[in-house]
Amino acid sequence: MNSRNRLWVALTAPGVTWLVFFFVLPFYAVACVAFGSIDPIFRDAVPQWNPLNWDFAQASSVIDSILSGPLRGVVVRTVVYVLIAMACSFALGFPVAYYLARHAGKRRLLLLTLIVLPFWVNYLMRMLAWVNLLSPSGFAQRALSFFGVNYNWLDGSPVTVILGLVYGYVPFLILPLYATLERIDWRLVDAARDLGATSRQAFRLVTVPLASAGLVAAGILIALPMFGDYYTNDLLSRSPNTEMLGNQIDFYINNSSEPQNGAVLVMFLSGMLLIGLSWYLRNTARIGRERVR
Amino acid sequence: MQRRDFLRTLLATTGGLAIAPSVLAACGSSSSSSGALVIGTPQNPVTLPSTGEAIADGLANEGGTMEILNWADYTNPEVIADFEKAFGVTIKQSIYDNEDAAIAKLRNGTLKPDLIIGMTDTALARLVAGDLIQPLNQTYIPNRNNLLAGLQNPYYDLGSQYTMAQFIYGNGIGFRSDRVDAAQVAAEGYDSIWNSTYKGKLAVIDSYRDTISLALLQAGVTDVNTSDADVLAAAQENLIRLREATSPKVDIVSYTEIPAGNRDIAYMWGGDALAMPFYLAEGTSADALGFWYPQDTITANDFFCIPKASATPVAAHQFINYLLDVEVAIKNQTYVGYQPALTEVTVEAMLSSGGIVESVADAVVTQERYEAGARLVSLEPEVDALWNDVWTTFTAG
Repeated sequence: MNSRNRLWVALTAPGVTWLVFFFVLPFYAVACVAFGSIDPIFRDAVPQWNPLNWDFAQASSVIDSILSGPLRGVVVRTVVYVLIAMACSFALGFPVAYYLARHAGKRRLLLLTLIVLPFWVNYLMRMLAWVNLLSPSGFAQRALSFFGVNYNWLDGSPVTVILGLVYGYVPFLILPLYATLERIDWRLVDAARDLGATSRQAFRLVTVPLASAGLVAAGILIALPMFGDYYTNDLLSRSPNTEMLGNQIDFYINNSSEPQNGAVLVMFLSGMLLIGLSWYLRNTARIGRERVR
Repeated sequence: MQRRDFLRTLLATTGGLAIAPSVLAACGSSSSSSGALVIGTPQNPVTLPSTGEAIADGLANEGGTMEILNWADYTNPEVIADFEKAFGVTIKQSIYDNEDAAIAKLRNGTLKPDLIIGMTDTALARLVAGDLIQPLNQTYIPNRNNLLAGLQNPYYDLGSQYTMAQFIYGNGIGFRSDRVDAAQVAAEGYDSIWNSTYKGKLAVIDSYRDTISLALLQAGVTDVNTSDADVLAAAQENLIRLREATSPKVDIVSYTEIPAGNRDIAYMWGGDALAMPFYLAEGTSADALGFWYPQDTITANDFFCIPKASATPVAAHQFINYLLDVEVAIKNQTYVGYQPALTEVTVEAMLSSGGIVESVADAVVTQERYEAGARLVSLEPEVDALWNDVWTTFTAG
């Protein structure tokens, strides 16, 4: 290894150390809780640090519940909510990022600041503000009822939870998308149009592929926290009808005598996301390669 | 949103904002405990095992700062200020929103309070088994004689070796009497919570013990600590019926949501019902509120206890005694809402102090009601797991 390579290896050391201490070890600790036992007196988790002694019985019952028990509905609901929320986020966020990157001109910075500004306020505060706005006596509800829309937004409505997720995470989609779109050489789109592509074709065959890295990054950035989110649901719904995986993890870890079930769900969620993302990234890369050919 | 409302909502909704740290906190206790829990029930009262000596008689208080572990807004700040002035002690509060999490933090040393306020008998056996609390020296607490007779020698701690009761409450149904017919609620009783008329406007308590017990009581089962899997399976079916009929909210904020007009009816803690008038919208009469107290219900109380590692045990004893003074307790009630477990704190006394209003006065627990009520006691782990399974099935939707 030459000195230049050694320098780069050395520069990765802090990052690797960080990952080991703040991802690998905590994840191992979660596994030790998941496959450990429960203190018979205090009902808290007794982690089993030796993998040779891991007990999979409790994890197995949780997996059974996910496959055919009450947790199946929670998993399906979580996936559906997140997919719909992501679709809504892309539908809302992509045009905004596109406009900022391509048409905002001198007002770009101002508009970007205005979009991001509300999100400097704490997430909890913003959600509590929505609770007040959407309550039957709230301003938004009164305004909507003026137009004949009478809907109880806070009675455990999936629509409200999904809207909450979109509202909470859409800026995290807009920013990376904007950063990607802003770097696109728009002359390539002009060239496509010159060569006879319709605007729709130019968008689909030139803009989207060029923005694919940003789309993937933005999608991952919002999908990961949405899957684990529970406080949006707690604040805007608090109903069994909208229970998500994060809520069940919260219950098991903070309010039940079976904290290891929560740890199993954490591992399940991580595994599900890892498999899903790997599949998605692999597919995206394959499609990219095919396009190049 | 008022400050108390905000704080409670904040705690209720962010109890586990950091789930991963909670998982990791669980790793702090790397060894399993030994021994057995000593759990008292009204049928089998217990004398708790001795875990040490109480402080000596006649000591002067330590002065300085006393740290209290307390629920949010569970002691009137004016009462605290009065005590600080009278006894030369500065009080600092730490807040907890979950007994189990608090016990875990007491065990691993994250929390080192000098006095704990508001724990219940479901936690007591573990506090004693973990050698976390010290025996009380009752000579410092002459006001213990003000407590309701049954609570001067409670079944969970005969002789009040470790605990001194504070507030008392019973579960029931709170409602908006301008939207719900009070007579109909009284006639239907627990069935009101299953009445689909209230779909989307109804809530139950976000506590698996309380709400599963509701399902048991509604079905006529009075053993609210049952270990019978078949009975629990029936309760589960009952809760699913409830979910399908009324789409209930599952939270602990009905005391603000009912007065705000956001829901019409809820199964709730009676102490919360007494606090409802504080949260009425301006211009709304307190007559718009109502409470139905069931004949078969759960009654409970919380208590004070002093950690073994308390640095100010004398001041802690003095504060307990101070809060058990009738006048101080009434002043405390006007802020907290919950009813002090003192004989002289009657409905009339609280009405005249403005601590409660007539329309929800039925939430007050008398000595007779307290004794007639069922108690939730600690469950054995395998039984508790059954209860957890029922709750998961209900909340999973």
